[in-house]
Amino acid sequence: MTTVSLAMAVVVAALYAVGFYLLLQRSLMRVLLGVVVLGHGANLLLQLTGGPPARPPILGGSAEGSAPLADPLPQALALTAVVITFAMTTYLLALGYRSWVLVGHDEVQDDLEDRRIARRRTPTASMGEEADEQGDEVGVDPGSAAASGDPVGDRS
Amino acid sequence: MLLALVAAHLVLACALPAVAARSTRAAFGLAAVLPAVTLVWAAAMAPAVLGGAAVEENLAWAPALHLTFDVRLDALALVMIVLVSGVGAVILAYSAFYFGRRSPDASRTSALLLFFAGAMLGLVVADDLLTLYVFWELTSIASFLLVGQSGLHRANRRAAVQALLVTVFGGLSMLLGFVLVGESAGTYRISAIVASPPTGGAVTAGIVLILLGVLTKSAQAPFHPWLPAAMAAPTPVSGYLHAASMVKAGVFLVARLSPAFASSAEWWLPLVVLGLATMLIGGWRALGATDLKRLLAFGTVSQLGFLMVLFAVGGRLAAVAGAALLLAHGLFKATLFLVVGTVDKVTGTREIGALSGLGRAMPGLAAASALAAASMAGIPPLLGFVAKEAAFEAFLLEGGLRGGVVEVGLVAGSVLTVAYSARFLWGAFATKPGVDPVTPAPASPGLTVPLWITSLAGLVLGLVAPVAAVLAEAYGDTLPARTAEEAGYHLALWHGFNLALGLSAVALAGGLLLHTGRDRVAALTRRLHHRVSAQRGYELVVSGLERLAVLVTGRLQVGSLPVYLATVLLMVIALPGIGLVLGWAWPADVPVVHEWIQIPLGIVVVAAALAMVRARRRFTAVLLVGAVGYGIGGLFIVDGAPDLALAQFLVETLALVAFVFVLRRLPAHFTERRRPRRAIQVRKGVLAAIAGITVGVFGIVLSGARTAPATASEEFVRLAPETGATNIISAILVDFRALDTVGEITVLLVAASGTASLVLATRHDRRRRGKVRASGSGTPAHEKEVSG
Amino acid sequence: MSAEDTRVPWPRWDSPTEDWMLPGDCPVTSERTLLLELAARILFPAVLVFSLYLLLVGHYGPGGGFSGGLVAGLAFVLRHIAGGSSEGAEIGARIRVRPPVVVGVGLCVAVVTALVPAAFGAPVLSSTKVSVHVPLLGEFEIVSSLALDVGVYLLIVGVVLDLLRSLGSGIERDALDAESEAAS
Repeated sequence: MTTVSLAMAVVVAALYAVGFYLLLQRSLMRVLLGVVVLGHGANLLLQLTGGPPARPPILGGSAEGSAPLADPLPQALALTAVVITFAMTTYLLALGYRSWVLVGHDEVQDDLEDRRIARRRTPTASMGEEADEQGDEVGVDPGSAAASGDPVGDRS
Repeated sequence: MLLALVAAHLVLACALPAVAARSTRAAFGLAAVLPAVTLVWAAAMAPAVLGGAAVEENLAWAPALHLTFDVRLDALALVMIVLVSGVGAVILAYSAFYFGRRSPDASRTSALLLFFAGAMLGLVVADDLLTLYVFWELTSIASFLLVGQSGLHRANRRAAVQALLVTVFGGLSMLLGFVLVGESAGTYRISAIVASPPTGGAVTAGIVLILLGVLTKSAQAPFHPWLPAAMAAPTPVSGYLHAASMVKAGVFLVARLSPAFASSAEWWLPLVVLGLATMLIGGWRALGATDLKRLLAFGTVSQLGFLMVLFAVGGRLAAVAGAALLLAHGLFKATLFLVVGTVDKVTGTREIGALSGLGRAMPGLAAASALAAASMAGIPPLLGFVAKEAAFEAFLLEGGLRGGVVEVGLVAGSVLTVAYSARFLWGAFATKPGVDPVTPAPASPGLTVPLWITSLAGLVLGLVAPVAAVLAEAYGDTLPARTAEEAGYHLALWHGFNLALGLSAVALAGGLLLHTGRDRVAALTRRLHHRVSAQRGYELVVSGLERLAVLVTGRLQVGSLPVYLATVLLMVIALPGIGLVLGWAWPADVPVVHEWIQIPLGIVVVAAALAMVRARRRFTAVLLVGAVGYGIGGLFIVDGAPDLALAQFLVETLALVAFVFVLRRLPAHFTERRRPRRAIQVRKGVLAAIAGITVGVFGIVLSGARTAPATASEEFVRLAPETGATNIISAILVDFRALDTVGEITVLLVAASGTASLVLATRHDRRRRGKVRASGSGTPAHEKEVSG
Repeated sequence: MSAEDTRVPWPRWDSPTEDWMLPGDCPVTSERTLLLELAARILFPAVLVFSLYLLLVGHYGPGGGFSGGLVAGLAFVLRHIAGGSSEGAEIGARIRVRPPVVVGVGLCVAVVTALVPAAFGAPVLSSTKVSVHVPLLGEFEIVSSLALDVGVYLLIVGVVLDLLRSLGSGIERDALDAESEAAS
């Protein structure tokens, strides 16, 4: 089985590298471009797994039986992938636009709640020893008859 | 019938809240009916069971996995049913009068109590280890919900969580132990395991794990603090769960499995040691308690230790004594808890220091509780005395080191038991100098009659000892008797003047002596308590866990999307990368290029991609992406994929158009509010580069690893003419894999409507001073516009 | 009227002011280019015919529902860019068509094609060859999966129209609103 050629492997590697780098950025547009480039790299890799360049997979051509047909299955899969990547691209574009309209920029923000947790040392509502420091609720002893409603002399 | 009864409990429990909405009293009354019926049915079955024919039922709920619900009614189960169903019915009837008419907790409590009764019933009749585990955890959950009540008070919440954490921790260990034992024995049926016990290393580990479950459930040292803390629940609940039945589950399991494992040291040694320690610790702490409920809680802890020791050694007499004491303890503890509940209800307090003169004001209540306390202390002619006599006799007959040590421990524990029984009676009913006598409100009969039932039962069973003897000995006979004397022992009130009677007298005297010096003893208890405590140990463990959790979460969940993506990327490289490094095989001949024209096309693609990284203007980046797309399309043509190339070109054009449409409104340059540090960008670049290289290497190595030709494609090529197509791609898309195509166009539809919805919402946003105050998406006008 | 009034100043010689180029109203008269409008008018039908050709030939050569639909979509994009973009001058102003309806029709056709074989007892999504005799042209063999291709075609055309409506007109309208707000 012939392998992917070196040149094509280099192209795929470059596309993936660029795609990953852009994916790690903060601007949503850059992330989107990274997704698109990554999609291109993946489609190329998918097509390359079909083997070396060969005759298009259309039967009944002029040179019947001379050269082998290209593998049709990866091509069909890649075609589906191309269309779906397009759908995702338009959706992410709309997201970036909307983010820009609502917030004024198109950057992905850090999660506030996670940041808040990282700064604490103990969780809120602790069940351990810190619980005693949080002030006591004055009131009815929960295990007593008064807590179970209508104590003393309920005759009804 | 057994399974039907269990199921009926659970089902009726779900229906109870509806009844309780009308009348709480009716709900509790209805709830009390089922356990009573169960008790009657069990009594009807008793002659057959005691004659030796156990009642069995099976329900296969996952036959393929050999999972069945097996239940078996034998002597031990009968004893427990008296407690679970009999005492349960009494307590439920009492609760009808304890909970006020307008109590918000009554509906929940009634349903949960009945549910718990059903789960406990299932536990005591289960013959299958896994069935037992299921019901075990159901009782833990019911206990959690009952102790937690409405969750409004912190004391409830903390107690409920503590109980849950400790018992479920034990329960999970126990499950692991069950699996180990069951796999070693080849079966999960308890009766089969008891008949031929397995041995081996796995079984030893399994036994240790099972013991962990037992010790946590029955509140043995060092896991005992959850029981006194659980007194935050209403008193009837405490009486049922934490005295009469749930905590007995651990002791019950020991009783079930002792015939199989009692001969191994890893079974009886921890149980005996910890049981004795618990008995002494519990009794000691009870002497210092000022709240009547807490006193009873520590008393329960102590008695559970006693029971644990009796069942763990696995001799006939000890087992008989254990079964009798199980019965007696359930009866007298339930009575005492109900007494405390009544006292609380009529006087409004449970503190020993505040109650005075109650014995004179309510003599009937005092008499009933005196009977129960006497049973606890082991005074003839009550059932507690009969059981304790048998217990002392058992270890006297055993002799040896173990017998001697245990006997001494038991006597010491009994001294403490007598002392705190006296303390209870004195604390609740005596007239104390210097304290104003309380004037109790009149109590309805519903608060006093039920506790007379259990109190008198203890007296009657003690007087008519053969009844209890039949039950207890039916269980005890399953265990070996060491001597003929032991084998011939029957429970009775009078055995003659022997050493056991003498030990009982010693315990009684010692206890009363301790009680006379009660103030000094109580002060001593308090002084010794604070330094070292199991409760403090639990709190330290829990807060340590919480701190660890916050530390780990803070380190891992930093909240930044690039960091998460980088972590994912690192894993994607690392895990398959390890496989690659280990099984590396660079293929023999890797061609540099197949067609010469791929080189300029490749250069265009790579150059455009690399330039895109450095682009500062959005438009430039978009144009470069277009260039990449067209270059790839060209590569597709060279590769012999015209259909794919056509689609690629068209899609790329459309994507460019879409990009340009949106870019018209966005700023021309990529703006960053915070300039990213150079070091971070370099790190990202390095990570991305490594990932890209890994993928490229994978492409070569994996494509070279495949040796067989592609079979699916051959099939398609061969079958294509039948579809009437010469374009095989089309045949695949609309014939062979047509479902994928339908799915694909659905995705397009969803994306298009999502895009339209997002973008068209802008017109309906409510703005003020140019800034968007409220998003317009979802408003009716917006929806109408999106659908055209 | 003097001759001066009727003469168009020379910087605006090739800005069209008539609306004979694009059917329907063209309220936006500022940015129009003659060349693009003329090209759109000539190319639009040709491209649509080509897209239909791609649809029909897909089974026997490169083409198919996807390519056909995308080409048809691009025809509408060309028209949109040439000027039929602001409100009131939407695509197909003579025929009011709602893009989501086109998308839905396409999906319906595809799903019905998938389910019809079940009515005849065959598994879902089977295809069959139908021979049609057209009087003057002879025998035609049509494969029933052509219907699935037609569904895909319609759906993709509808998706592109929807994109033009939202990303195209929608964003432009927002821009105009923002400008008028800033001006007021």
